[in-house]
Amino acid sequence: MLKLYDYELSGNCYKLRLLLSFLGVQYRSELIDFYPGNQHKSPDFRQINPLGQLPVIDDNGLVLRDAQAILVYLASKYDPSNRWYPRESPELLGQISQWLAFADAITATASAARLHDGLFYSEIDVEAARAGAHRLFRVLDEHLFFAEEEGQDWICPGEHPTIADIACFPYTVLSEEGGISRIDYPAIRRWSDRFKRIPGFVVMSGVFPAGPAATDRRQAVA
Amino acid sequence: MSDLHRKWYPIASSSDLPKRHVYQAQLLGREFAVWRADDGYVNVWENRCLHRGVRLSIGINNGSDLKCQYHGWRYANRTAGCTYIPAHPADAPARTICNNTYPAQEAHGLVWAGEQASGDLPPLDGFEAATVLRPVPVLAPMEMVVEALLAYGWDDSCSGRANADGSVTVTAADGAEVRLFVQPMDSNRSAIRGVSNQPVKGADRIRLLKRHSWLMQELRSQIEACASSQEAPPPYQPVIARVSEDLVDIPAIGTEMRKAELRVQVAGKEMTAEGIVSLRLEPVKGSLPTFQPGAHIDVHLPNGLVRQYSITNGPGETDHYRIGVKREPNSKGGSAAIHDAVKAGDVLAISAPRNNFPLRRNAEHTIFVAGGIGVTPLISMARALNAQGLSFEFHYFVQSDDHVAFKPQIGEYEQALILHKALTPEATGARLTEILAEPGFARHVYICGPGPMLEAARAIAAEQGWSDETVHFEYFANTAEVDDSTAFEVDLARSAMTLKVPAGKTILEVLRENGIDMPSSCEQGACGTCRCGVIEGAVKHQDVYLSDAEKAEGKSIMTCVSRAVSDRLILDI
Repeated sequence: MLKLYDYELSGNCYKLRLLLSFLGVQYRSELIDFYPGNQHKSPDFRQINPLGQLPVIDDNGLVLRDAQAILVYLASKYDPSNRWYPRESPELLGQISQWLAFADAITATASAARLHDGLFYSEIDVEAARAGAHRLFRVLDEHLFFAEEEGQDWICPGEHPTIADIACFPYTVLSEEGGISRIDYPAIRRWSDRFKRIPGFVVMSGVFPAGPAATDRRQAVA
Repeated sequence: MSDLHRKWYPIASSSDLPKRHVYQAQLLGREFAVWRADDGYVNVWENRCLHRGVRLSIGINNGSDLKCQYHGWRYANRTAGCTYIPAHPADAPARTICNNTYPAQEAHGLVWAGEQASGDLPPLDGFEAATVLRPVPVLAPMEMVVEALLAYGWDDSCSGRANADGSVTVTAADGAEVRLFVQPMDSNRSAIRGVSNQPVKGADRIRLLKRHSWLMQELRSQIEACASSQEAPPPYQPVIARVSEDLVDIPAIGTEMRKAELRVQVAGKEMTAEGIVSLRLEPVKGSLPTFQPGAHIDVHLPNGLVRQYSITNGPGETDHYRIGVKREPNSKGGSAAIHDAVKAGDVLAISAPRNNFPLRRNAEHTIFVAGGIGVTPLISMARALNAQGLSFEFHYFVQSDDHVAFKPQIGEYEQALILHKALTPEATGARLTEILAEPGFARHVYICGPGPMLEAARAIAAEQGWSDETVHFEYFANTAEVDDSTAFEVDLARSAMTLKVPAGKTILEVLRENGIDMPSSCEQGACGTCRCGVIEGAVKHQDVYLSDAEKAEGKSIMTCVSRAVSDRLILDI
């Protein structure tokens, strides 16, 4: 069975739990004591991932690291509907890759601020991390505002969400834990509600569920 | 309060409030949870749950109420009154638990609010078919943003001018005009909210929105560079109002009888079934207090009579109360007065809603058994469970199709509705035996209907193993003969008084004569409003409100009809 080296409070591990849940793929979590055990830096774990980072998967001997890379692999392999990572559309693949890189930038800023505030990573320059996250959120909010204007619900065009949404979701909605308010980003807040309503959505600590959507979509916009 | 607090500011675009979403806003340092109910009403509330202070902007907008994420407290559309506290023993929070609400209006595609705003919105002539621009937040004080906006423009012909209301108008030579408002979120944080007088659609609309979004963000970079070179003003310190004094104080001694503190207008009167009239009551001014499913109001009639009627409203229907009144053939004047004398447009005095028939929402399954006009409180309950997606079935015993009342309301839960028509008392008993066959686990039954049917249902439920705690009922009236021939004393433990209750007087009357303010409603032992705790002494129960177990326990008394068996009662009042 697919094995996920997992940590409950990691937003990057959560990305994979989300996709596996959306796809209904069975897997086993191998829990790594990130804090306070620092187990991801242990010699044993560095033999699995020399970078000493979570998450890692082991799929029948294929060992992969990096949340975004694993999203690409899992969606390509386990999504017969081909909607989370539409392989035949170069345009979409280009856009998805662009936003996967953007998600990495969110990790480098919003997640860093959260590690500083929540898990005692005192060496992080938290003010710079927060400012960086706000710069990214301004871009994402404007992008999502105009996506809505064009009748689109998701980060990349199309009826269905993609792994770009999954990659950007966790550290965006956990940003308050790093002292980064989302009050200035109403389009991000609406997108979060839509994301939470995807069938198969699961929560993690610090992420709250949404209620059901208005039944009639046309009525949803007053 | 400064002048700033009395002004209207736009705090959101209308499109920021899709249904089932909660928007987070801030004005002069104060945070708001802003949400649109399914009926379109825009709520602007303190962004703080009254329970543990968690932000309501992360809560769940259910369309008719807002649920806090933390412990599930629910607050009603419009009134912000708490309608439900999970695990609350009585399942009926005090009506006085109410969040702070703020004035709000929606106009020109914008949502306007202000802590103490009143009067008219700034006039927006020429913007009737306006396009609302994408708002742009800026890390700078409001005054600095307004100053910078005077130089805003999209071509060389643009010129800006400051308006008396604090906004800025930018006009181009071709007549295109943009009105820009600055929302002071905090002392050093603002949002630019603009409307364009160009009613554009499709690709033109997106081009216009993108152009302004870009230009405003370019301007923002300049403003923020300037603001960051200055010392930031200290943030506003909004004061969150404490619970009102009258909630924490011991109430003053009063001699009022039944209170009729509300004035309502009969906004609609129509027959809803054979012999049953439906009244829509709207507030003469202000808003109506929060109700809970199962609650009733006292209606003070023009002829001096006071009658109790259940509210049939669904959750979130907070701009009116709807009641149903059956014409009683042996009316002492109550139902006849409503049917014959009360007209649409009349003003009536009513009490605030009281709930002595609370609904548990933690049942695995709920069975409602309604007989005739007894359907009214159960309609409100079923609508609440239906809105929450909880499991229930609704049995409605009627003489014929023509006697089915409130068809639109019960139609909301058609899937759970079972009509039982024209049954004899024996057939009714047999049907109730089937309905109440299985007490099961965590199943509750609520019964309301004519006395004989209620008695039968309670007896059948008890025979088939339903425990007292799972059978909830409400009588319309107490038809038993009340014996008031005894005399005894009551000690009031909290008030430190001893009073004599002579033959011919009720405990309630004696309490009131001595200045003890005891609420009451039906005054015949049916509604439960004048319930009082008993510390010591044996009670002669003469009401139909308490269950048999409660009567046997002897810890409560209905002061309007019940009396002492012993010489003395010690009451917890």
